[in-house]
Amino acid sequence: MLILLWFLWDASSAYWYEFGISQLWAAEWYPYESLYGLLPAIIGTVWAMLIAMLIAVPCGLAAAIVSSEILPVSWQGWIRLGMEMLAGIPSVVYGLIGLWVLLPWLQYTLDLLTGHNLLAAGMILSLMILPTMMVMSQDALRLIPIEQREAAMNMGMNWNQRLMRVLLPQAWTGIRSGILLGLGRALGETMAVMLVVGSLDRVPDPIYNILEPAQTLTSRIGREMGEAAFGSMHFSALMACGLVLAVTAICLSLLAQQKRSFV
Amino acid sequence: MNINTNTHIKEEKGVESCALPSYVRLENISLTLSEKSILKDVSFSLPATGISSLIGPSGAGKSSLLRCLTNLYDNWQGTISVAGINTRSWHGGDDALRRHVGLIAQKPAVFPASIYDNVIFGLSRKERKQNQSSRVERCLTQAALWDEVQDRLHDPANTLSVGQQQRLCLARALALEPKVLLLDEPTASLDPRSKQLIEASLHDLAKDMPILCVTHDLEQAQRLQGQVIFMCDGKVIEIAAANDFFEHPERLETREFLRWSVCDCD
Repeated sequence: MLILLWFLWDASSAYWYEFGISQLWAAEWYPYESLYGLLPAIIGTVWAMLIAMLIAVPCGLAAAIVSSEILPVSWQGWIRLGMEMLAGIPSVVYGLIGLWVLLPWLQYTLDLLTGHNLLAAGMILSLMILPTMMVMSQDALRLIPIEQREAAMNMGMNWNQRLMRVLLPQAWTGIRSGILLGLGRALGETMAVMLVVGSLDRVPDPIYNILEPAQTLTSRIGREMGEAAFGSMHFSALMACGLVLAVTAICLSLLAQQKRSFV
Repeated sequence: MNINTNTHIKEEKGVESCALPSYVRLENISLTLSEKSILKDVSFSLPATGISSLIGPSGAGKSSLLRCLTNLYDNWQGTISVAGINTRSWHGGDDALRRHVGLIAQKPAVFPASIYDNVIFGLSRKERKQNQSSRVERCLTQAALWDEVQDRLHDPANTLSVGQQQRLCLARALALEPKVLLLDEPTASLDPRSKQLIEASLHDLAKDMPILCVTHDLEQAQRLQGQVIFMCDGKVIEIAAANDFFEHPERLETREFLRWSVCDCD
């Protein structure tokens, strides 16, 4: 991890020495005018992640609960197989599906000029991380011994109580790992997001407007790295985007490691 | 009481508990699981107080019977009534029935919380928010665990030994103030001291409620006294007071079981 951070720091150091940390909240990104503000991409990344998590966490958890606690065992294998196959599909395929199905649908349904926007990016990301979250949550629920379920039943706890007080708290470690893995994938996903987000380097106006084209850190790196000359300031600025991504991922992991009380 | 013709019940000398009004009554209970007949026309009753020991070889249907009593299995046929109320039409449903009829499993299952929180785990949110110290002390005392844990009530419950965890499960069940207690081999694989402590607390509890205790341990059934119900191959073979059952068994199957721990009742 330290080597990775050192590498990113070394490659982006020219950018940080030249412009300083204030670029984190600078809103202009015009490489040809030497403006390298990271704020639009940071805001775009945060929105895409938030939307993805808001959709994927409840859906993934609900799917895991239904599949492991309600459906017959014979169905569970098929659902798991389906989810594992979904998790293995290359991200560009999700991007193409987004281009083909999601963008026209959003454009038509919400009466927009274009379907390329942060909502589309978040929705595609949620679809991509849903299988991971569901499979990991399902594993965590299955690991809870049957005796725990029966003990709760023997105490007259109803289904909701068993779920909220016995199953979810005990499965929380596994669920948290699923959320973290999903978050990591959402944070780092490039291709699918690049195809649907619109790649417009502008802070959404107003800032909560998720229905206009935007940019994320990954889509910026993916789209512009081919154009940036190796060792140039543009190249260094793109490496700085990578450093911000890596530091954010590490911070999220550390935050999620905090202990949670049981009752 | 409608008992199948093969069951032998002694009503005379020493079966004091049978003279008491019955609180739990099972009539012609049959259960089939995966096309296999597990219980066949089982009928008996538990008096309002006292211990009844349910004994028999493995696979006799003892644990299944307990699960029928709390509707953990719900595809049984027959009639089970508790306090004169059919358990099929229990007010508040199966969850309310399970609060009335406490069932303690063979393997202790403590929740990953403190000892204190485990005891109050089954209480309502409102009750849990109130100070439950006196209830926790009373239940742990009834389960013969208070002396050992009173100084560390907020330690994790899984730091207790298996015997202590089993007594904690008993305390947790008692916190719900059940009117009947069912125990499925509660002392299996426990050390002699834990066994002794649990038996002592069962004797105390049985003064106020009916207790049905499944056990493989014939000596334990003798120590628990009360009535003994002997089951084999899903059928009740013999019911008698403990002294009579062990000293003067009526049925050949019972004598075989007491002597060789096997039963051939086909």
